[in-house]
Amino acid sequence: MNGITRSPLVQGLLLLAPALIVYGIFAFYPMLDVVKLSFMKWNGLTPTMQFVGLDNFRDIFTIDTVFWGALRNTVIWTVLSLLVPPFIGFVLALALNQRLWGRVALRAIFYLPVIIAPIAVATIWRWMYDPFFGLFNQLLAGWGLANLALDWLGDRKIALYSIFAGSVWQTAGFSMVLFLAGLQNVSQTLVEAARIDGAGRWSIFRYVTLPALRPSITVVLILSFINSLKAFDIVYGTTGGGPAQSTQMLAMWSYTQALQLGNFGNGSAISVVLLIVTIAIVIPYLRWSLRQEEKTR
Amino acid sequence: MNALTLPFRPLGSERIDPLLVVLWIVLVAIAIVWIAPFVFIAFTSLKTTAQIAQTSPFSPPLTPAWENFSKAWARGNFSSAVFNSTLITLIKVPLGLFISAMAAYSLSRIEFAGQRLIYLLILFGTMIPFQVMLAPIFGVVNDFHLINSYVGVILPYLAFGVPYQVFILHGFFKEVPRELSEAAQIDGASHFTIFLRIFLPLSLPVLSALLILDFVATWNEFAMALVILQDNRLWTLPLSLMSFQTQFSRDYGQLNAAIIMTVLPAIIVYMIFQRYFVSGLTSGAIKE
Repeated sequence: MNGITRSPLVQGLLLLAPALIVYGIFAFYPMLDVVKLSFMKWNGLTPTMQFVGLDNFRDIFTIDTVFWGALRNTVIWTVLSLLVPPFIGFVLALALNQRLWGRVALRAIFYLPVIIAPIAVATIWRWMYDPFFGLFNQLLAGWGLANLALDWLGDRKIALYSIFAGSVWQTAGFSMVLFLAGLQNVSQTLVEAARIDGAGRWSIFRYVTLPALRPSITVVLILSFINSLKAFDIVYGTTGGGPAQSTQMLAMWSYTQALQLGNFGNGSAISVVLLIVTIAIVIPYLRWSLRQEEKTR
Repeated sequence: MNALTLPFRPLGSERIDPLLVVLWIVLVAIAIVWIAPFVFIAFTSLKTTAQIAQTSPFSPPLTPAWENFSKAWARGNFSSAVFNSTLITLIKVPLGLFISAMAAYSLSRIEFAGQRLIYLLILFGTMIPFQVMLAPIFGVVNDFHLINSYVGVILPYLAFGVPYQVFILHGFFKEVPRELSEAAQIDGASHFTIFLRIFLPLSLPVLSALLILDFVATWNEFAMALVILQDNRLWTLPLSLMSFQTQFSRDYGQLNAAIIMTVLPAIIVYMIFQRYFVSGLTSGAIKE
């Protein structure tokens, strides 16, 4: 082996290169490119694009009649995603951490929807919501409650929440697994000591278990936040944003603008708005987790 | 097994705790709700349209209409979709894991200037949902004239797989004792050899966990494939299912058969490698 390939720097860069190049070009560069595109007028096909300054942002904020509704839905969806599936996952994890019969099988059942393709979850729920032969209206009819039957995905007042129910089914198991892992860090000696000192179930939970779970709670919330922005497949596969754009969300509206309507400028401007919100929340978290990592060193 | 590890007894007690029994009953009830959609889909997939209209949702198909599967398979062009999904997954998953592992080794075991910054840039990628950036991803792939090609979808898949895998493996490699690699270095082995001969075998459990997670993620991916694979001969299973749903949404039996054919491979992999899922998810995410 000659001198150059012996140098740690060269060896290090060679090992790093394939991942770094492919990541740089196809993941990191698009993040920068989307900012550039948001100042351009481009249909995605022509070789040239035209610089239009902040026009695209003005368009989406003032002319685009869908943007604000999509933003509202995204906020509702994100807030619900931060509250409901993590809470269900938390309760399930606490319960499944007890000595119960068949708890391994129960965990597997709650986790099963997590591994299903989101587009299949969309198809499953759309079929269950079918107004005529779908599960929900059939069950209601069977119980003599046919008057409660609804057009779950066709009614603009409830469609978003109907889709969200499918999302809860898919994602609660994910939070559960992370909380179960976090519960392994709860010191059993501490629990035992508290019990011997006469602490009740609630006090043990409040003063021993909950503080030990704080890192898990942070991780679950941040991952739920990122995952909620990924809500693309499930909307695309159930309603496609309808009826009358009532379930439209920013990620899908950006896609629709750019790739369906050929307006890459507006689509990118929407993406930039979403990216800024994401980064504003993610950067403090990254700093926090790096500090945690350093502490464990 | 002694009394202390029997179910329904709280820690250090031999008596059955009634509260735990109640809890268990509630959990089983929720589990039945959770699994009901699967039962409903499986039953419907074996019923004819007439049976679906006449029977209740949870009545089992007494004369199974197996032809739903063969018909859906042919109409949905599933043979081509299974081929495309398999090909893309088989190339992407091992290759992605290999390049991520090399990068993680380089960033954790070799010291050079700027590596902290590179690590942070890669780490940043774990936090950005690519669904938000479909337009620029399309733009980049288009610049390389790779729209409607396997390579065109595999490259972004690789790119978006790198951050999480590097993050997990970086954490793992950092913990490996120095002596292990130093001994080999004194013997004149290159870093690549040390990586291949020592670190890869050592990290097999983590690698298997990441492999399984990545298999499922790649197999299930929809949005990027939707943007890049517009030619229906290149469609993966999720795209074919979506198209089937739009075209034949009134053929309930076949639609449900199509759903099962799409999700079954992931479910089988999950059943076989269940324990790896949990370790793969949590090895990096939860650390105190």
